[in-house]
Parts: sequence; C-alpha cells; structure tokens
Amino acid sequence: MKLTRRELATVLAPAAALAGTQAAAQTTPRRPPARSDALLDAARARTKANGAVLDEQAAPMDTAPAFQFKA
Amino acid sequence: MAAIPNDVFFASIGELNARLLAREFPAEDLARAFSARLERLGPQYNALALPLPQQARRQAIAAGKDIKIGRLRGPLQGVPYGVKDVLSVAAQLTTWGAKPYAGQVFDYSATVIEKLDSVGAVLTGKLSMVELAGAGGYGSTSASLFGPGLNPWDRAHWSGGTSSGPAAAVAAGLVTFAIGSEASGSIVTPASFCGVTALRPTYGLVGRHGAMTLSWTLDKLGPLARSAEDCGHILQAISGKDAKDAGSAGKSFYYTPQYVRPLKELKAGFAPVDFAERAQPSARAAFQSALAALRETGVQLVETRLPQFPYGPVLSAILGSEAASVFESLIASPKVYDLADPAQIAGLQAALEIPARQYLKAMRLRRLMQQAYAKLFADVDLLVTFGRSGPAPNIELPVGRAVVPPEGSDPGFYGIIQAGNLAGLPALVLPCGFAGNLPVALQLVGAPFAENTLLAVGKEFQTRTDWHKRRPEGV
Repeated sequence: MKLTRRELATVLAPAAALAGTQAAAQTTPRRPPARSDALLDAARARTKANGAVLDEQAAPMDTAPAFQFKA
Repeated sequence: MAAIPNDVFFASIGELNARLLAREFPAEDLARAFSARLERLGPQYNALALPLPQQARRQAIAAGKDIKIGRLRGPLQGVPYGVKDVLSVAAQLTTWGAKPYAGQVFDYSATVIEKLDSVGAVLTGKLSMVELAGAGGYGSTSASLFGPGLNPWDRAHWSGGTSSGPAAAVAAGLVTFAIGSEASGSIVTPASFCGVTALRPTYGLVGRHGAMTLSWTLDKLGPLARSAEDCGHILQAISGKDAKDAGSAGKSFYYTPQYVRPLKELKAGFAPVDFAERAQPSARAAFQSALAALRETGVQLVETRLPQFPYGPVLSAILGSEAASVFESLIASPKVYDLADPAQIAGLQAALEIPARQYLKAMRLRRLMQQAYAKLFADVDLLVTFGRSGPAPNIELPVGRAVVPPEGSDPGFYGIIQAGNLAGLPALVLPCGFAGNLPVALQLVGAPFAENTLLAVGKEFQTRTDWHKRRPEGV
C-alpha cells in the first residue's frame, strides 16, 4: 500500500502525540515531596484514630446530621 | 495631593470617615496613600497578594464625588480595605494562596465585595493567606504561595493562619480593615497573634458567594479591624441574604449595641484554669489584668464548664471530608504536588479516604453539640477565654497543635475554637495586652446571632483599655 506523505502524517500523528506526552512525562517526573509517604501514613493514622474516638460516642438513632443554624 | 499624616493609617473607621466628611483630605488622596503604603510595606510581612491601585482610585473618586454632593452611604464610605485572597474580584487574580491556582481569574466579584462596594468602601488590594486556607492541615508557617506570614510586631514571629495577610495588614496600618475567613480558627488565631480586633460571625450571616469553598458547613467570612465598633459597622455592611450561597441564613445584622441589656445583667461563663494554668506563663499576667478589666465593665463572670465532646476529631472528620470533596480533582492530579506544604498534601490525600460513616457520625454529634450549646446559652450570655493561649510562635517552629490537657485534669475551655465553629457561634477577638513584645487577646463567644451582645461588651472593654490602639514600632 502506498501512502502519501500527508496520509502518513495523519496515521502517525496520534502515536507521535502520545509518545511526546510520555516523553514529557518521563523527562519531568512528578515526585512527592520528601517524607510524603511517612506524612501520608501519619495522616491516615490520625484519620483512623479520630474514627475510633467517634465510634466511642453515642448518638440517638433519630439524631440527624446538622448544618443549619437558627437563632 | 493632600499630605496624609501617619496617624491616619491607624485611625478607626469612624475617625477616618469623619475626616473625609470634614474634607480634611479627599478620598482619592487617601486611597493613593494607602495603596502606596500597602505596596511598599505589604511585602515586608508577606501580607500582600495583589495590589489594586487603579481599582481603588476609581472607587475613591466615586466615593469622593458622592461625599461632595452629600450622597452619604455610611461610615465605610471612602475607607480603604483589603480582602483575603479567598475572595474573587472580577478579572483579577484569585490564587487562594496556592501555586496550583496561581493563574486563576473569575469574571465576577464575591458578594461581600459587592456589598462593600455599594457602601463606598475602597478595595486597595488582596491579602495573603495560608494555601487553600489550610484545607489538609499544614505543618509549617511557609505553607503559602506568598511565604510565611510575618508578624508586624516582630517579623521573626508568625502572623498566624490562615488569614495571615488580613491580620498583618491591619496591624501594620496598611488597610483600615480587612475581610478574612474561618472554618476553624483562621480569623481568631491571626487576630490574636497580631493584636487586632476581629469578629467571626454566626454561620450563615455573611454570604460566601465568590469565596473559595473549604467546607460548606464551616466556612465563614468576617472582619479584622481596629475596634469592636469598627467590626460592628463592617458586619452591618456585609451581612444579609445571599441568594447564591446555600448556607445563607437570610438574616441581616444591624449594629445596635445600645439595645443590648445593661452589661451588669450579662453573665459571662469562664474557666479559671484557662487563665491560671492553660495560658502560657508569659501571657498569664496580661490575661489576669484583662479579666479584671472585663469585670469592671459590670459583666458578671461565672465559672462554667463546656459541654464535653471530642471537638477535635469531630471537626477533623467534617473539615477533612468536605475539603477533600471540594478539592478532589486537585488531589487526583499531579498539581497537588505544587502545594508548598508536604503535610497539607498528605492531609488532603488521606482526607479523601475518610469513610462516609465517619463524616455522618461527626455531623450527628455536631447536632448534639448545637443542642448542648443552646442549653448552655440559656444560663450564660457569653463565654470568655483567650484567643490563643500565648503569643505568636517563631516562624521557624512547626505549626503545632494545642496542648491536650492531661487526662483527669480540668480541661477548661479546651476546644472552644472547634466547638464555636462546629456550633456556628460568633466570636469576638479583643487585644488585651502583651507577652513580651507580642500581643495576646481575649475571645468572647456568643449564642448564634448574638453579635450585638459581644460587640457591646467589646466596645465597653475597649473604652476602658487601649490595647486595641497600640501599634507596632517603626510602622
């Protein structure tokens, strides 16, 4: 099959664009700031501890969530 | 151009407006002088987000014309102010203090800015803040696109979070008043650290359309200014129904402290342990003197206990869940790593994983809190404690959490900032002395929509003290 240069460009353009994105991603890696894993673990641990505290609290079944305030 | 004397930069709203009406100087010259001062000194405290001198000049010219023909719009007419960069100003940058939003522009202005515009106030600039108002919890004073907020009383110390710029700018006389925001301490803390008077209004009293959303059920906008009276004038201008804010209470506020019951009939609940033990040693003498001055107003101080709830965990669950939902697309994107504070990033990521069960339990406990505070305010008219337990920390120190009272000890009003925000209660911060060279402040907390009670007590306190009139050396 013979392709004109224009047809060839049309076929290859998406792949080239994708490769370009990947190349850009490889050359500018996004790295979490230092110690972020430890910080994330600590934040998750705080969430879990908070949840445990809330679990200990009793609320009657008919207590609806609140966010409206009236005088 | 008329010469603007230095004392004008520290004048109250009432004084400034009177001098404008007396034609001592035109509003345009006043705006120009404040704009120049904000641009010159704002960066010294990392307080300036965006100067708006052209817009200020236009507004000031309009205010001046109105004053000239007697079209008076109230005490804020011609008075320069600034806003925390959570608020959108049409066609201007609104960064929310965060690099991922550094190029953000809205085509509309926030409701509070429109309201202030309608009474002739002059917006001279946008002021710095902790990135995303501390959405994920932050560990460093540097958690901002603008760098750490530096305290005008001592630049080695923090101006507080998250309304750092508004508090520093008012303290340094760069604006006459500013608008800040609070979900949990973001007005009370910087006002206390910078020695300015501030009001956190009842949830829903001030419309939030055009303000960055951090938490739908906790966000509030309020004034930082030179006195309780100034806060009253500002609140009157910015309160009222906001059809574009689902949380709007649809109520207006009229500053009428003269109609509050005689102060000697008011009961203020307090916990002696707050001032004797929980306050930092360097601040105790100032707090004790302030309590004595408060007694002299006639207000009865009565020992009170706060309803006991796990305020911190409840607030964290609600604020974390709502903030993570608001910023879900940022958290999922690599841009989250453009935030300045690693703890903030981790906090946001973890908050996205908070179970719905935990959020709902927190919101149900919040309902019980509201009921408990309604009961408490049947016995007392207001609560009194410190704004923060001590003065502003050094900027090199990590942003700490409050010291938890030891188990079995009297907790005093520990958790009052979270409690007040969870129950939607108003709070007034009153400068009340110094610890070393840094200011400290009292905090008055009231029942929902009882702002006039707080302001009446604050006004009387400030007729007997002059802490709110002190200004940092060299500014």
